[in-house]
Amino acid sequence: MTRVILLIPILFLLSCQTLPVIRLTEEKPFVCPSPFLKEKSRLVHAIENRVRGNVQSSVLGITVADPATRSFSCAIVTAEGMSLFEADFSPAAVKIHRALPPFESEDFAKNMMEDIKLIFLAPEGSLQSKGYLSDGSQACRYLQTSGDVIDVTEHPSDGIQIKRYSSTGVLKKHVTFDKSGKNIYQHIELQAYEFFDYSLLMNLIEAQPIKKQAQKKK
Amino acid sequence: MKRHRVSLIFVCVLLFFSSPVYSRANDFEKIRQESAKIKTLQADFVQKKFMKILSRPLVSEGRFYFSAPDAFRWEYFNPLKSIVINFQGKTRRYVYSDGKMEEDQTGGAQAMKIVLGEVAGWMHGRFDQNPSFKATINKKGKTRITLTPVEKKMNGMIEKIEITLSPKGQTVQSVKILEGTDNYTLITFNNVKINAVMDPSVFQDVR
Repeated sequence: MTRVILLIPILFLLSCQTLPVIRLTEEKPFVCPSPFLKEKSRLVHAIENRVRGNVQSSVLGITVADPATRSFSCAIVTAEGMSLFEADFSPAAVKIHRALPPFESEDFAKNMMEDIKLIFLAPEGSLQSKGYLSDGSQACRYLQTSGDVIDVTEHPSDGIQIKRYSSTGVLKKHVTFDKSGKNIYQHIELQAYEFFDYSLLMNLIEAQPIKKQAQKKK
Repeated sequence: MKRHRVSLIFVCVLLFFSSPVYSRANDFEKIRQESAKIKTLQADFVQKKFMKILSRPLVSEGRFYFSAPDAFRWEYFNPLKSIVINFQGKTRRYVYSDGKMEEDQTGGAQAMKIVLGEVAGWMHGRFDQNPSFKATINKKGKTRITLTPVEKKMNGMIEKIEITLSPKGQTVQSVKILEGTDNYTLITFNNVKINAVMDPSVFQDVR
């Protein structure tokens, strides 16, 4: 019983972690790091999904995202060509055209939408603070309407990273991008600390900007 | 009136035999007899995935192995390395990770496993023997077999499958899997080797 009583405050303390401190400074001004899409683009990635470190599956992910409208379409296809998931997302609506097992749950669609937004679209929230982390990373902190906090950071050796925290400061998602200097979407890793931890390892197969002219022709 | 009816029936019978589209058991039987000669088969394949979301098809390449009666190995080399093996009644899927093949843990993509299993059956001429599909045959030009799912479990997964046979032998030349409007997969086989010696380890070893 004593153990249980001790465990409750420990769990409470763990759930109320604090956000990393951003040291505000005017000495070395910088532009907020922005790994996000600048124009409407089509990206095809090989995606490896891991749960608790174990490989679950490997699929092809196709994303067509438009940062101007914050809308995107996505599809998940197996190596064998079977389309498992197809959906359109816009700020106004979510349209799921196809969802086969194991991607048929509502939670999956919601999580996928959140992951794509986090990786490719700039945070919707307002810039709360801008400065440096203790490790020297440049950091911009955005407060989301949900209360969540998104930190976009850039470190000279670790590259650009995105971290999403809950309103209580618990790290929920962590995204790292390619550091080789090629296409920033060449290699993306997303680590989610959810009810069950999962990670996505994404390797770029094809990237293609969708020009306005091409859109008009269609 | 009676004469008109007889003429109509005559025309229908004539149309039935002259029409390229029919599903007569003896046509399938003929193909089956031809295919029964196939003990092993290996072929390269190019797979093109067409979707509305893509501006150009997504191209994959790989190699297919078949050994009668039902062992098969589908191996994809790029862009995503994966292997589906059916051996002694068990189908397993492997994906490439960290330099080695790992078994797919999701247990999902059942429809894909069903289709790949079917293709192996087709290589052996078993087109009309799966109760999950209604098979029709079109012998105009190249022989084309169309399979339409009849079982509810395939609803929303596959609309139909079109199989084109090679003009010489009765082996499968291409498979078109239609999943929906603007969404289909075309697999074309080439470098087909029939009854060549095949190392049985290809159905067990995923390295």
